[in-house]
Amino acid sequence: MSDSTLRGKVAVVGIGMSPVGKVPGRSPLWLAADAAKKALADAGLDKGDVDGVLSCHAFASPFHRFSIAFSEYFGIQPTFSNTLQVSGATAATMFNIGAAAIHGGLANVVLVVASDSLMTGLTPDLALRSLTESRDQQYEMPFGIPVANTFAMTAHRHMKEFGTTSEQLAEVAVVQRRHAARTPGAQQTAPITVDDVLNSGWVTTPYHKLDCSLISDGGAAFILTSAEHAREIGIAKPVYILGGGECYTHEHIFLMPSLTTTGAVESSRRAYEMAGYGPRDMHTAGVYDCFTGTVIMMLEDLGFCPKGEGGRFVADGQMTYGGQIPSNTHGGLLSFAHSGMPGSLFHFHEVIAQLRGQCGERQVAGAELGLVHSLGAGFATNATTILGTENTL
Amino acid sequence: MISAKDAMKKPVPAPDADSADMWRGLREGVLLLQHCGDCHHVQYYQQGMCRQCGSENLSHRAASGRGRVHSFSVVHRAPGPAFKADVPYAVLLVDLEEGPRMISTYVGGKPEDVTFDMNVMLVCEQIDDTTTLPRFRRA
Repeated sequence: MSDSTLRGKVAVVGIGMSPVGKVPGRSPLWLAADAAKKALADAGLDKGDVDGVLSCHAFASPFHRFSIAFSEYFGIQPTFSNTLQVSGATAATMFNIGAAAIHGGLANVVLVVASDSLMTGLTPDLALRSLTESRDQQYEMPFGIPVANTFAMTAHRHMKEFGTTSEQLAEVAVVQRRHAARTPGAQQTAPITVDDVLNSGWVTTPYHKLDCSLISDGGAAFILTSAEHAREIGIAKPVYILGGGECYTHEHIFLMPSLTTTGAVESSRRAYEMAGYGPRDMHTAGVYDCFTGTVIMMLEDLGFCPKGEGGRFVADGQMTYGGQIPSNTHGGLLSFAHSGMPGSLFHFHEVIAQLRGQCGERQVAGAELGLVHSLGAGFATNATTILGTENTL
Repeated sequence: MISAKDAMKKPVPAPDADSADMWRGLREGVLLLQHCGDCHHVQYYQQGMCRQCGSENLSHRAASGRGRVHSFSVVHRAPGPAFKADVPYAVLLVDLEEGPRMISTYVGGKPEDVTFDMNVMLVCEQIDDTTTLPRFRRA
């Protein structure tokens, strides 16, 4: 780690979330603006203080340049902005790039904001089809390959190579549903069992319906500024960005170097190195959970357990309270909400709230260090961010 | 965003400058792989240059068609209305004898019969006058 990195230079000073789940009659731009208002209020700032906006595309919005359309809607004229696109990994890249922009002097106060209306803004078929459109038009789409299928083939291979079981996959969904039951506003809160998951019907083997994340509406927003400015404006509990890393290994699933070891190994290695902490130091994590098997592979690749042992790690209770790394304590994409590319922003919202000690009955005691890992496109894109309190600087 | 009407149609590949020869080959019943004359890398995904060494000294050779299933997943929930009538179908990641891996679907048998490491054989399936898709049956 060197002084030239962004470690500890930038703080998250405001967080906000729109209503999530089924939110009819609200456009993605409204959801984004609602979340942004709340994040600004949380930071005690005014929209006029924002000079940078980072966002990503929304499927239910016609705007190519969502960050620009958002700024117009919100009535601001930023001097730094971009609409980023690395699928599900975009969430963490917005934090990493936002922090780098502040550290590098391109902006003073960056609003990270994203939203979508996959549940009520599109019919379910069109929502799925829109996601599928992101696959290759020549080599993948003609065969009828749902997004879930690319992830399913990685999980299936993981089962073959390491003996991971359907019950272990299901346990991820069960744990996260239990977490969601304690999260106000979560989309799915009714308790489920491993048998419920296994009997929920196939989507694409080895995934059942309850192995798959939700389809939701909703957005979240964050205010980033320099550590110095955070002190000047008297932020009570700034949460610092300690490290960031990314890794892009392929575009096409058939060119993924290994189906069972992903770019998360390298993205997290870089983030840990910058932060000066390792996986054993983390108190809580937001682990991208588009599917149950994704979580098992990520717990391995992020270094929380050895390769191949993710299934047993989860079954042993290591990803929940009292275990090694309480993860997705809000319920994740599987039970809290999944509004597409912004989905992983809810993991950020939760991990930051945990580090601020604001999670009430779901609070992880003594949480000072947290990791969020975002990924997308059949593990093509991976981005990791490590966050910490004042004590961890 | 696509329209509801377009979602009813199965997508067909639109060949580009990199891929036109491969799609033409499939219409003639062969799967053309690119062999690099400099580094001997073999690629299925068609490019104007070798992905390994950047050389443009590439030649097309027909694949033997023999391959082995590296992973698979049986689709029960179709990716949109156009594929609804086809479920369940098995999507395969096939390791070709020549080295490259490709994605395709299983034909000529029940999807539940597919297993890891199963030997498969290329089938060139004509979709319409302009498109033939490479699929696989049990060898």
